[in-house]
Amino acid sequence: MRRVLAVLASSLVLALGLVTLWGLFPGSPAAPAAAVLIQLVVIVSAVAVLVGVLNLLWVHLQRVINGDPGWPYSLVLFLAALIVIALVTVERLGLVAGDQLSGFLFSAVQVSVESALAGLLAFFLIFAAARLLRHRVTWAAVLFVITLLIVLLGWLRLPALGFVNDLSAWIRDVPAAAGARGLLIGIALGAAATGVRVLLGQDPSYRE
Amino acid sequence: MTPQALDAIGVWVGFILTLLIFSYLLTDNFLYRLTVYLFVGVAAAYTGVVAVEGVLLPWLRGTLLAPAPQTGQIVLGLIPLLVGGLLLLKAIPALAPLGNLGLAFLIGIGTAVALIGTISGTLIPLVYSSGAAIGDDFVNGLILILGTITTLLYFQYLSVKTPEGEVVRPLLVRVAGGIGQIFLIVTFASLYAGAILSSLTIVSERIAFLLARVLG
Repeated sequence: MRRVLAVLASSLVLALGLVTLWGLFPGSPAAPAAAVLIQLVVIVSAVAVLVGVLNLLWVHLQRVINGDPGWPYSLVLFLAALIVIALVTVERLGLVAGDQLSGFLFSAVQVSVESALAGLLAFFLIFAAARLLRHRVTWAAVLFVITLLIVLLGWLRLPALGFVNDLSAWIRDVPAAAGARGLLIGIALGAAATGVRVLLGQDPSYRE
Repeated sequence: MTPQALDAIGVWVGFILTLLIFSYLLTDNFLYRLTVYLFVGVAAAYTGVVAVEGVLLPWLRGTLLAPAPQTGQIVLGLIPLLVGGLLLLKAIPALAPLGNLGLAFLIGIGTAVALIGTISGTLIPLVYSSGAAIGDDFVNGLILILGTITTLLYFQYLSVKTPEGEVVRPLLVRVAGGIGQIFLIVTFASLYAGAILSSLTIVSERIAFLLARVLG
């Protein structure tokens, strides 16, 4: 039975993959079929997201019920999620006008905490860069720190540092862009090779 | 409650939450963790709400919940539910092979989209623009192409077996890889600088927000 299901899974990948691939070429007669398939994947992904959220809430509810270590945090998480869902439901049922309450929660909690966490990152990035040379001095670490300083100084656009400004712009436009292109092309080649392997049924990860 | 009062409360809530997050700079503490869990709860619920409101409900209204739905609409409406149900079976070890069918559905279509996307959206434009750069500025264009190729070669593990049986990388690949490593370090440093600048911009905005609350 397992073998039949594995063959069925491979056939499904091949058939759906090829129809979608064909449909994505400009002017292809399979374009409407590909559009429906892609839309179905979007819907399934939304179902998966919903299942993930419900699973998260279930796991934390269990932690609260069992009194596991750190259960007060789980209680806060669970209640916060419930409040958001309740507020949105109340708004959608028309019990309060507009989306003031959920908008309030979004700007007060989501935006504030997200910005503060992103801001916190600055301290750790600077600290990590400072520690890099204290840990072990290598030519790579020295080159990294020198480039970092030049690029940072260049962003300041100080008139007294004309040469550094030009050098910083050149580093960003030429060698850094070259490295980024190499990375992106490498990732794209890897993704394309993996995609072909999957479509040819050579990748067994989804059959195990 | 008036919108103005709600705004005022929101600003103060934001102020307190920002302070609690920044308290992590002193040490990992109870209040910081509490705020992070609060954030995860709110963010997860929002994500779920957006998935339901933005994707699932419109789809259901157009298929299963449509007024007098036709057979095609019912089938289309049921497919995602069926695939979603199959994916849930992955959690049960005995029925996991059935769940693989749901996974195969996602992987087949997703792979085709990714394949077209990487070729037409990344590979062709990047190769074309790298080639075109040499026409705009010969020296810089040449460095750009050299950097791109050597960066790719840095991740290449081609090797040859010597008559003594030792496996070594050819000299050319080693030299090209070494040059590629330099380009990679410069790239990562440049990206790191960008990350520092972005987060510094955010932290300065947050500090200005805190000061505005404290100083009025």
